Amino acid sequence: MRSDNSWLQTTTGVVVVLLLVQFLTGVLLAFYYVPSVDHAYTTVSYIEKVVSSGSWIRSLHHYGSQWLTVFVFIHVIRLFWDRSYDANRIQWIAAILLLGLVMAAGGTGYSLPWDARAFFSTRVAEGLMAGLPVAGQMARLWLLGGSEISGVTLSRFFALHVLVIPTLIGVVVVWRMFRAQIAELFGPRDAIAGTLVFLALALWALKHPAPFGPSVAEAGADYLPRPGAQFLWLYQSLKYIPGGLGSIVGVVLPGIVLAVLVALPWLKRQRLIAGSLLGLGVVLVVIMTTVSYFSDRRDPRTAQQFARQAAAEEAWRRQPFNPATITLAATTTKATGGAPDMYTKFCANCHGTHGQGAQQGPLKFPPLLDVSAKPRRSVDDIVALLKDPTAYGLQPPMRSFADKLREEQMREIAEWVVKLRQD
Amino acid sequence: MNIDTSRRSFLKFLPLAAVFASIGGAAFRFLRPKLSAATDAWLDVASVSELSGPQPISRKIVAEQITGWAITTEEHNVFVLPAKNNQVVSAICPHEGCEVAWEQNRNRFSCPCHESYFAADGSRISGPAQRGLDPLPARVQDGKLQVQYISKEQATRA
Repeated sequence: MRSDNSWLQTTTGVVVVLLLVQFLTGVLLAFYYVPSVDHAYTTVSYIEKVVSSGSWIRSLHHYGSQWLTVFVFIHVIRLFWDRSYDANRIQWIAAILLLGLVMAAGGTGYSLPWDARAFFSTRVAEGLMAGLPVAGQMARLWLLGGSEISGVTLSRFFALHVLVIPTLIGVVVVWRMFRAQIAELFGPRDAIAGTLVFLALALWALKHPAPFGPSVAEAGADYLPRPGAQFLWLYQSLKYIPGGLGSIVGVVLPGIVLAVLVALPWLKRQRLIAGSLLGLGVVLVVIMTTVSYFSDRRDPRTAQQFARQAAAEEAWRRQPFNPATITLAATTTKATGGAPDMYTKFCANCHGTHGQGAQQGPLKFPPLLDVSAKPRRSVDDIVALLKDPTAYGLQPPMRSFADKLREEQMREIAEWVVKLRQD
Repeated sequence: MNIDTSRRSFLKFLPLAAVFASIGGAAFRFLRPKLSAATDAWLDVASVSELSGPQPISRKIVAEQITGWAITTEEHNVFVLPAKNNQVVSAICPHEGCEVAWEQNRNRFSCPCHESYFAADGSRISGPAQRGLDPLPARVQDGKLQVQYISKEQATRA
């Protein structure tokens, strides 16, 4: 510990305060910012122009990062002057690591607004990586997440800036403050138990992919939603409780139970009450979860619907990925002769955006190029085929679009498809 | 001595507390939610001529709303009730906001979430919902049935 508290020695305090400012303002910005190439600029503009105090908060974060770097640097100089590398090795190493990390945070942060400065800053970062000896190209590819600057790059800079680097800064700070206590957290049995649980979870996840339903726009009116296992008790309870009382059972009661449990160390005489409250909660959760499980399996219509939803999800997993279309040009002109919107929405997934077909694992989806040269493939035929593919001898996964597309939309698709030619 | 040190350590943090109170105050303003501007546009539902019969007819309306930094265009399911003078009701269940479906063979609306049921005229039959399906303001203009979209929250406040 230092003996004198001169003003020259206050760099630790300044660095701590500026770090806190960066954390707080960064968290606030994350409430509006969206890390995607088509929304980043808009959301930063929204923070600057619309959100109260938004311009001030963002400016604090922007200039705070520069001031922080300067003060960490001064802090390092001071420690060097005090020969802290001899006196307090941990303090010295932590300060150096911090300097590197705040520089990295600043560098990655520049890209996030996705304005012109961000664009050039990202280009320069790309160039610096590419110029590294031996592994330069590799470093560039890993930083960009591909061979070009894209939405993937922005996501990477975002993850580094708001998750990886702040976590590392936190680790450095915690390590400097509590390194004696950290070793006690993990005994040998803890490590074994933790590993076994992870193995079980890993095997479970291998067999059961996380559920992913249809998009909201495509979900049918008969879609049955169900919450995760930890909320089934609440879901089932809501069926029995009229209207707004659901909020009491779902939010207020669990809140009271948790508050009583927190206060347990001080509730010397009321332990029986607290204990029965906890017991009651456990009984309610177990009963409601069990009832929910059986009520979904008892009704055959519900069971059939769940089977249909599972089959639809399985079919979705076998379909090739459908990429988004992002236009970054300032003026957008709709390409003439392009695919009709409904073709892009429903057909391009399997038959390709230009009718070139697709292959996904063992599944091969036929190309539509020169399809009009084949028998029974006139515009009228294709419209009829879209309504009833089996009448044209087609097998699933080709399905009827009679319920998805209107007559004129099918005709628009058919008139575009017959013009497709093999070049 | 003891009181003196604790007072001094309290005073020591006072300027720091002021710094973070200023960010905290700004944070409150910064995070304060913005209410979506209610749209009063009249949205086409269907031509009056194609609406008939005893069954509720499912239709989609497309409403635009200013939501934060975006103008969101969203489809909403509504039901036209030709048997009830073409009243239009929202498909949003007034209980917790799931979307009800029309069950033709049982002649009722059912909610896929918590088993609320509604009659063909939109009135409540049973379940945790406390009122019938919310009617939307409707009018007929040039032979077209039009509605104004009202969210569940707006209907609850009214």
